[in-house]
Amino acid sequence: MSVSVSVIIVLCVFVSLAVLDQISIQLGPYSPLFGGAITGMVMGDLKTGLIVGATLQLMTLGVATYGGATVPDFLTGSIMGTAYAIIAGKGAEYGIGLAVPIGLLLTQLDILARLTNTFFQAKADKYAEAGDYRGVERSNVLGTIPWIVSRVLPVAIGLIFGQGVVNAINSFIPQWFMDGLKTAGMILPAMGIAILMRYLPLKKYWPFFIIGFVMLAYGGKSFSILGAALVGLAMAGVYVIFVGNKEHTATTSNGDVEVDDDDDEVEIDE
Amino acid sequence: MSKLEKSDIKKVYWRNIFGLQWGWNYERMQGLGYSWVIMPALKKIYADDKAGMTKALKTSLGYFNTSQPMSHLIVGADMGMEEKSGIENDAAITGLKTGLMGPFAGVGDTIFLAIYRAIIFSIASYMALSGSAVGLIIPIIAGAVILWVRYKFTWIGYNQGTRLATDFAGRMKVLTDAASILGLTVVGALIPSVITYSLDFKYKVGKVTLNANDLMDQILPALAPLLIVMFSYWLLGKKKMNSTKLIFVLIALGMLLGNLKNIF
Repeated sequence: MSVSVSVIIVLCVFVSLAVLDQISIQLGPYSPLFGGAITGMVMGDLKTGLIVGATLQLMTLGVATYGGATVPDFLTGSIMGTAYAIIAGKGAEYGIGLAVPIGLLLTQLDILARLTNTFFQAKADKYAEAGDYRGVERSNVLGTIPWIVSRVLPVAIGLIFGQGVVNAINSFIPQWFMDGLKTAGMILPAMGIAILMRYLPLKKYWPFFIIGFVMLAYGGKSFSILGAALVGLAMAGVYVIFVGNKEHTATTSNGDVEVDDDDDEVEIDE
Repeated sequence: MSKLEKSDIKKVYWRNIFGLQWGWNYERMQGLGYSWVIMPALKKIYADDKAGMTKALKTSLGYFNTSQPMSHLIVGADMGMEEKSGIENDAAITGLKTGLMGPFAGVGDTIFLAIYRAIIFSIASYMALSGSAVGLIIPIIAGAVILWVRYKFTWIGYNQGTRLATDFAGRMKVLTDAASILGLTVVGALIPSVITYSLDFKYKVGKVTLNANDLMDQILPALAPLLIVMFSYWLLGKKKMNSTKLIFVLIALGMLLGNLKNIF
């Protein structure tokens, strides 16, 4: 099955909007979940798309562009992974296995886009010198082009040669490798979770982490993430009522705010 | 200097929602976007002050990078300050921006990136895994709430101006702590539910077959996922380790675990 031109165009438009969402509102289209779902819908297999997207989403929960760091492009990864899974007809797991390496490869294009925009920054400086505010405005608007091109290009090329890529994968990559990727897909969410544990003050508030784990480990059948979130919300509320309000009055009467840096933060990305 | 109207502030808000990072680059990061965002306010304030406009333009293009939702507070405060006292003292504006962007980035990334995403998108993903696309609406609804919060932030920043650094920051600390508690509860809950791996390894002693995963579950349910997470957590604490390298480590581990049957 080859991908029709209209599908390629629709997905290119989608990824353009999605990358703009990623760098602005972050409403949803930028997420691997939406990437997989929309691709699945457009290609006529919503279920596969949902599974690929959701699995990738869970895998990358903690992966975010903290401080503008570049992270693997799992949005494009989920679009391509879903498309390849549907073309090959080998189920969602096939797509999940492919999406991760694709996302990793595309990291480089993201870096290239951010580098290219330095050019528009330099332009804007010149316009500002001359007091030309329209020029400054135009520079920022033109800054969207590198973002869009860096996402549309791989999607278009990857889909045009979709059938060829899938054939190559099927004939060159051994079964044990695909099995390994499948298992990797199951354990990769550990990365997102570990990043969150590093990012949040685990050493200070570890009891809540244990409570959350126990709720789902022992009560997984009857409990859900939403349930755990509500329990967490209640505990956060208790904290604000009994500790937070006191602390707040303490800091404001002192006049200055204490910033505690006792959590050893890690470099999330280079 | 002219006064800002409500419509100007709304214009700045919308620009901030969409375009703060369009021109993101390695040299000044959100600097270019910041200039575009605050432009409607600058145009109004310096409507008949060409020199002031040029100076304000240059100041607005300076290095800037923070969490997007939190940036509204800073942009708001900047507007308030320039409306009141112009760009005469541009060092004060730059000081406000650079002084707040660091702490605000920490707070904002924790709440709006880490915790928000972990909760909203994990719930939506679960619904998707069971084949329902209805869950996709959850991030959209939550996103609408964030849009409202960001609108409020713009006004809080505008009204508080320089006091932002002291008053609001104190309240944010309590909020961050509370959000961290909520976040860590969810993170703990994610481990048994998100990591679906179970050790596929059987060992035969005489006539009895021991299933390694059953044994581990008797010690603690979801022990295997917990061990993998703790291993990843420990690795991330190492120097020279980052999330991208961790992906490769976990893929290698997956290759090994996925082929246990073939090895033994």
